[in-house]
Amino acid sequence: MLTSLGVPLRLLARYLRPLRGRVALLGMLLLGSIALQLVNPQVVGYFLDTVQSGGPESLLLGAAVVFCALAVTQKGIAYAAFRVSQHVGWTATNALRADLTRHCLRLDLPFHKRHTPGALIERVDGDVSTLENFLSSFAVETLGNALLVLGVLAVLFHIDVRAGLGMTAYALLTFLALGALQRVAVGRWAASRQASADGYGFIEERIAGTEDIRPNGGEPYVMRQLYGLMRALMERLRTARVVSNLTFITTNFLGAVGYAVGLAIGAFLYLHGQISLGTAYLIVFYIGMVAVPLDTIREQVQDFQQAAASVGRVGALLRLTPTVSDVPGMNEGGGMTAGVLDTGPLAVELRDVSFSYDDAAGALDLPGDAADGPESNAGDAAAAGGNADARSDARTSESVLSAISLRLEPGQVLGLLGRTGSGKSTLSRLLFRLYDPTTGAITLGGADLRAIPLRELRRCVGMVTQDVQLFQASVRDNLTFFDHTVLDTRIRAVLDDLGLGEWLDGLPAGLDTPLGPGGQGLSAGEAQLLAFARVFLRDPGLVVLDEASSRLDSATERLLERAVDRLLANRTAVVIAHRLRTVQRADAIAILEDGRLVEHGPRRALAADPDSRFAHLLRTGLEETLV
Amino acid sequence: MTELTTTAGPTGTSGVVAPPGPAPAATEASAGSGVAAAHMATWPFMWRLVRSSPWFFAVYAVFNVTFYGARVLPGLIEKAVFDTLTHAAPASVGIWALIALYVSVELARLATSSGMVWGEVTYQYTVGALLRHNLLASILRRPAALPLAVSSGDALSRFRGDVGETSDFPMWLPDTGAKLLAALAAIAIMARINLPITLVIFVPLSGTVVLARVLWGRFLRYARAGREAESAVTGFLGEIFGAVQAVKVAHAEETVVEHLRTLGATRQRAEVRKAAFYQLVQTIADTGTMLGIGVVLLLAGRAMAAHTFTVGDFALFVYYLWFTTEVPANLGMFMGDFKTQEVSIRRMEELIRPEPPVALVRPDPDLAHGRSPAVPYVAKGPADRLQRLEVAGLTYRHPGTGGGVTDIAVDLPAGSLTVVTGRVGAGKTTLLRALLGLLPADGGTVRWNGEAVADPAVFFRPPRSAYVPQVPRLFSESLRANILMGLPEDRVDLAEAVRLGVLERDVAALERGLDTQVGPRGVRLSGGQVQRAAAARALARDPELLVCDDLSSALDVETEQVLWDQLLARRERAGGTYLVVSHRRAVLARADQVVVLAGGRVAAAGPLAALLKTSEEMRHLWEGETRTTPAATPALGAEERTR
Repeated sequence: MLTSLGVPLRLLARYLRPLRGRVALLGMLLLGSIALQLVNPQVVGYFLDTVQSGGPESLLLGAAVVFCALAVTQKGIAYAAFRVSQHVGWTATNALRADLTRHCLRLDLPFHKRHTPGALIERVDGDVSTLENFLSSFAVETLGNALLVLGVLAVLFHIDVRAGLGMTAYALLTFLALGALQRVAVGRWAASRQASADGYGFIEERIAGTEDIRPNGGEPYVMRQLYGLMRALMERLRTARVVSNLTFITTNFLGAVGYAVGLAIGAFLYLHGQISLGTAYLIVFYIGMVAVPLDTIREQVQDFQQAAASVGRVGALLRLTPTVSDVPGMNEGGGMTAGVLDTGPLAVELRDVSFSYDDAAGALDLPGDAADGPESNAGDAAAAGGNADARSDARTSESVLSAISLRLEPGQVLGLLGRTGSGKSTLSRLLFRLYDPTTGAITLGGADLRAIPLRELRRCVGMVTQDVQLFQASVRDNLTFFDHTVLDTRIRAVLDDLGLGEWLDGLPAGLDTPLGPGGQGLSAGEAQLLAFARVFLRDPGLVVLDEASSRLDSATERLLERAVDRLLANRTAVVIAHRLRTVQRADAIAILEDGRLVEHGPRRALAADPDSRFAHLLRTGLEETLV
Repeated sequence: MTELTTTAGPTGTSGVVAPPGPAPAATEASAGSGVAAAHMATWPFMWRLVRSSPWFFAVYAVFNVTFYGARVLPGLIEKAVFDTLTHAAPASVGIWALIALYVSVELARLATSSGMVWGEVTYQYTVGALLRHNLLASILRRPAALPLAVSSGDALSRFRGDVGETSDFPMWLPDTGAKLLAALAAIAIMARINLPITLVIFVPLSGTVVLARVLWGRFLRYARAGREAESAVTGFLGEIFGAVQAVKVAHAEETVVEHLRTLGATRQRAEVRKAAFYQLVQTIADTGTMLGIGVVLLLAGRAMAAHTFTVGDFALFVYYLWFTTEVPANLGMFMGDFKTQEVSIRRMEELIRPEPPVALVRPDPDLAHGRSPAVPYVAKGPADRLQRLEVAGLTYRHPGTGGGVTDIAVDLPAGSLTVVTGRVGAGKTTLLRALLGLLPADGGTVRWNGEAVADPAVFFRPPRSAYVPQVPRLFSESLRANILMGLPEDRVDLAEAVRLGVLERDVAALERGLDTQVGPRGVRLSGGQVQRAAAARALARDPELLVCDDLSSALDVETEQVLWDQLLARRERAGGTYLVVSHRRAVLARADQVVVLAGGRVAAAGPLAALLKTSEEMRHLWEGETRTTPAATPALGAEERTR
């Protein structure tokens, strides 16, 4: 029980420190509540003794009134404590959710390719939700109830040493039993949470892919898979619950034994005339009271079992580090700081750049997650997870890019060609530091990419990809990515530039108009134009257009040409397209094949050389696109 | 118990954009637009849930009733102990025997809780599996191209939270019933001991049931607000994790997290209010217990002095009060939980609309018998052979925008290649979707070999047709499983499908070949690879009619030429009719007929050469491209194959 406490306690400390005032208040309220719970039975004992000794009725009435008053006060305090603990729990878990989300967003792309959004939601929201009680009340409740038990023991010692000793032995026994049981259950809970993540990750993917499933007759198959996953979920959860229920049985049985011991002690002492009947009753009453806090502690322990599993999973996530991150030594020691990049067009140079996914992906396995094949227990196993899967991963092992060297002067436009899978997209992602090259280096404006702070880099490089990802949020938030500092006039100007002014005017609430889920209702062309707008808003010195206009018809594309011309003016650009049309504006051409640069040179020169691959492509392939 | 005939908006309020205002308001606002969906009342819903899995429910109920019913016994034993001690009753069995009896009774009682838990989880997750099965089946049945009313993260929270909520509810019936029975038995015992005290305690207590009921009414509102706030958070998380590259590229991690915080703060307010209210009601009930003990203290004093009320009686009263006074709160909670069922049922209904709510709880014979659902193989029969597909008057309007396609007529003879082209927004994708039933057509007929197709969504599927959507998705499983998608491998020429999809080289380059796990949504493959894998998936079904939406958008020149040469060769060899959307000259040049769409209508149709002469729009589209002459280059394809 103690060995697994370290990580959760660190998490507790980290998220409760900012809330220590509230936590202290919570502690005081609980202490008050405990004190009242300890005092009140004394009133009952006094009552019984007064009855036995034939005391005056006014004393009995007084006792009854005091009992009621104390009871009501105690309930009031307990309610206040609940309110405070809720506040603490939610504030802490929301902070944790935000931190985890930020952390996930910073992790490299290979991580996200391995884990479905559904599985990540299960961690960032599902696991964190199970931590809510842990963060809000585990410490105070466990401590408070332990204090209550100690208080009862103290009172019993005060009444009679033998009663106190008997109860102490009983309480110790109970704790040992609970500790032993806890260890059994943790793994079961981790397994059931895993089954849950598997199930919901599956459902999420299938909901998003209905257009792939139905017209291709895949429903029966999907329904069978769902059945298997739901069955696994039921079986694992059932095992976890039945095992955990042993804790419940044990606690309550020990409670019953304690109660019986109390009865026995009370009866023995009373029959030997050593205590009054009121005191005998008091012993039984107090022992009955121990059952509740022990039960609460047990519940907390059970919650802790679930929390430990969740903490393990959350911890495993937090331990992952992005391979792409600001390198402190290079940023600070190397004299590279923010502002290193000019605002104008930037020179780009690739020196002997090679890249393979294996290296980038190895560090990003998240044990025990839906996307991973071999399953491992959360918690301690998480630390060891590291590179376990990397070797067995099915990714292609060969280099995606090998020994690429090329240079692009400021303001130049490079047309990047090659067949599907030749490495064009990967190359563009390298420019962005979505990955780092395995060997070799990329410089931007003369500075090594790794030396440029990410914030700076991503401010200075803009990218339009084929898949436009939109949020269920206002048009404004979709364009600015929730950055509220961007002025409406600027957004308006950019949309006008793109010829979207009319579209904007047609929206019921202008920029405040919410887009439906997944940007529903927007045509591919409109979505693409919005993606352009995002880039225009940031005014970068280098732009990467990755098949940006492949689905636009000529009419829409002409709308874009004007804006794209403006974008490329006074900017360096890498334009990737399968369509030769898009490369017409390029100054230089680079052709990739199987990750190697097979041709590179000025466009005009290559076009004029009948033996060049580019010229060959012009001859055979130019007609392939109508638009 | 509750009659609900509220109307709410139809699910697919999919304009270009959703109506302004917060999401719930939007749903309310569109209520007038036509679909008045019936709601299923909670009791019929629950009754069906219980009937769907009666035996597990019975197991739970029996153990539950035993567990709670036996709560009466320890109080009686305790009374006997104290009465023996004070000599108020003859020592019949002796104190130690009584104590031993007490321990045994508790042990036996606690042991039944294992059965209770087993029954509870089994029932709850059997029923939960049925609900999730029905939800997903319904989502798969609805017009697949109509977006869900909610984001996928929100939908997921309904699969998880609302299913959990409703499948848990039937447990309340035996639970509350057992506790009520035990309480009534206890009250009867107490009344026999001292009727006036019992009445003084329980008459006002019964009033708290009404109070609890009233308070729980408000709980409904809070619960709904809580769920909506939770959905907003999970929905947003789903979106940003789905768009992680875009977020990174925009370096928007901080602003996105800031937005998440705002949503989280709203959720916190809603959840705290809900939980605090729940706790308040609970506290009021607990206070009732303490006041009940106070009443005993007040009234029992004189009776005890007069020896008409023993210390054993007192002990029994206090023991029983602990669980009898819980009953009003329990009933209140039961009613409150009952109220939240409305919310959950409604949220699930929203997900399956326009299907009736009863589809949620429709029993499934396979699930009922614990059988894994079968995946039947449909062999191609003579009737499945396509001779001619005729489309006439096909119309679909996007709700809200009014865009769509109008009065489309196309005629596809067997073995033909028809290319649909047009500007962005001309309705190309909509045409394919409306034809296949992925969007509910507003008018028009589709005839297969002269026979009108009644329900295209049911009709257009393998082996008659297969479809490659504009942005295909692969699922997180092996490439093989993705392509087969349930087809028995021995009935499929998988190698041929891979070859036709021009996927051979890619498969060869993968370390585990077809057994490679392709990542979430297939993103471990490049866009073109996903598209070709989706083509292989469609071709593995050996469809009579292959419908492709812009198959070539992520393919380069050479790959695409190989692809079309192979598809046309397949046509020569084995037959096959193609209906494709494309802009590309390589495809258009091979077409038997081209359909030019403009503004959702057929602007022109016919062979390419003729259209280039007669159609302004066709020329516009054609010449929007560059100045070279069209020329098919099979040489490239041959080169490809020899590699």
